[in-house]
Amino acid sequence: MSFDATDITLSILKIAIVLGGMLSVTPLMVWVERRGSALIQDRVGPNRVGPFGLLQSLADAGKFILKEDIIPAKAHKVLYTLAPMFGLIPALTTIAVIPWGRSFVLPETTVFGRRLFEGGRLFEPIIADVSVGILLIFALASLSVYGLATAGWASNNKFALFGGIRASAQMISYELSLTLSAIGVLMVSGSLRLVDVVHRQAGYFVLFDAIKLPAWNIFPMFLGFIIFLTAAFAETNRLPFDFAEAEAELVAGYHTEYSSMKFAMFFMSEYMAMATISSLMVTLFLGGWDIPWYNEPPTLLGFLFSAGAFVAKVSIILFIFVWVRWTIPRMKYDLLMRIGWKVFLPLAIFNIMLVAFFIAKRWI
Amino acid sequence: MFDLIVFFFFAAIAVIFALMVILHRNPVVGALALVASFFALAVMYVLLDAPFMAALQVIVYAGAIMVLFVFVIMLLNLQHQKEERTRPIQQFLGFVSSAAFAIALVYYIIKFSVVRAASGPFVSDARAIGHSLFESYILPFEMVSILLLAAIVGALILSQRGQSKGAEQP
Repeated sequence: MSFDATDITLSILKIAIVLGGMLSVTPLMVWVERRGSALIQDRVGPNRVGPFGLLQSLADAGKFILKEDIIPAKAHKVLYTLAPMFGLIPALTTIAVIPWGRSFVLPETTVFGRRLFEGGRLFEPIIADVSVGILLIFALASLSVYGLATAGWASNNKFALFGGIRASAQMISYELSLTLSAIGVLMVSGSLRLVDVVHRQAGYFVLFDAIKLPAWNIFPMFLGFIIFLTAAFAETNRLPFDFAEAEAELVAGYHTEYSSMKFAMFFMSEYMAMATISSLMVTLFLGGWDIPWYNEPPTLLGFLFSAGAFVAKVSIILFIFVWVRWTIPRMKYDLLMRIGWKVFLPLAIFNIMLVAFFIAKRWI
Repeated sequence: MFDLIVFFFFAAIAVIFALMVILHRNPVVGALALVASFFALAVMYVLLDAPFMAALQVIVYAGAIMVLFVFVIMLLNLQHQKEERTRPIQQFLGFVSSAAFAIALVYYIIKFSVVRAASGPFVSDARAIGHSLFESYILPFEMVSILLLAAIVGALILSQRGQSKGAEQP
């Protein structure tokens, strides 16, 4: 494999775009969450800072930076400091293997007398197109629990410890359902590469020789999608499954002792993990960047359309996260573990059988 | 050249954190160091052109097994182990036997050159591994599965023993 200055520049550009998007997810989502909760609960919500309170998140960020950073005297200092980073790194890196638009050829151009992209160059909107993309996501996502568990333990606080223990038990239980519900998709695409998964969903299902349905995996694998969505709530510690923090029982759970930017890092990693898992959901089940009933041209315009479609789909899933949080109350912890092992795990295995049956019948 | 730098960097990380697992007194730090060591090992698989094995290494060892270990250590809330009073002769025998074992291990690895790359192209993608697991090695694979099932059933029975009948299922 050889690469030149243009490749490196393009890679840096892609990383800058994705990183910028990921970092702006948190303030935007906090605003959506606060205004959305106000909408659902018939309140006004933050509306003082900027138009529609849009700059509220910026004010909050300023507050976090200016607050005093407290490390409890009896905490394990090294792990206490490292824990927020353990949480943030998987949340930031997993997005690298997700394709976020249609690839297109950059035409040859001349800028300041220098010829760029000689003979045209393919621009693939994905940072790292690795052959085991989806496994890499599951691998890194499974590491995110260490942030929560370490924070809970290193704080030397019984509520924080309970939060950390709950987080690890919950993640072990729901990771299985999450992974198993995605296996149906892999069986259909026959590849672990996420670019192939998206390309597989580009066609149509024709029903009764009349209705053309986009060939998204959600239609044959609706059960798998529902399991994945539910397990995603548990994986990202969102209501109704936010037992790692559960204010009513554990003060604030694993981040009880955290303040200032360390707390903000946990906050950021929660929203980034949500964005990553939503992107994965869109890629696996909702056709990725594919626009239904429209064939994007392989040009810059087609790329912009497809990237817009991807962002729109991710936004819808993210809104579902907010919607569910302010609609469904928190469950009981033993109920969470019971339905994880006794309902979702068998259903996920049943989904695999169902997809295998479809494939054997050549319906998909 | 680039591969070599990456290899030595992560090899050093793997060895340092592996040493930390046995030398550090705090069990939680030891468990987290083991995670770091496993992660560095996964990088070795990537360098060997086996990204599938690398992903599995992280998912299974760092992601699943070690989470369970950390969970148990935290649940029992193991603090600094009290130093047990040991006799000097015990320590001496311990060092001698482990040194003898290490020397024997290195000797046999060098003598029989176990560490040698297999001939032919090295294929380790999901398809190849699936074919060998479910075709060539189906019998050992099923035997290991049954062994694991027996272990799970055994663990369940042992944990149920001593509990009164009709107790709430966990």
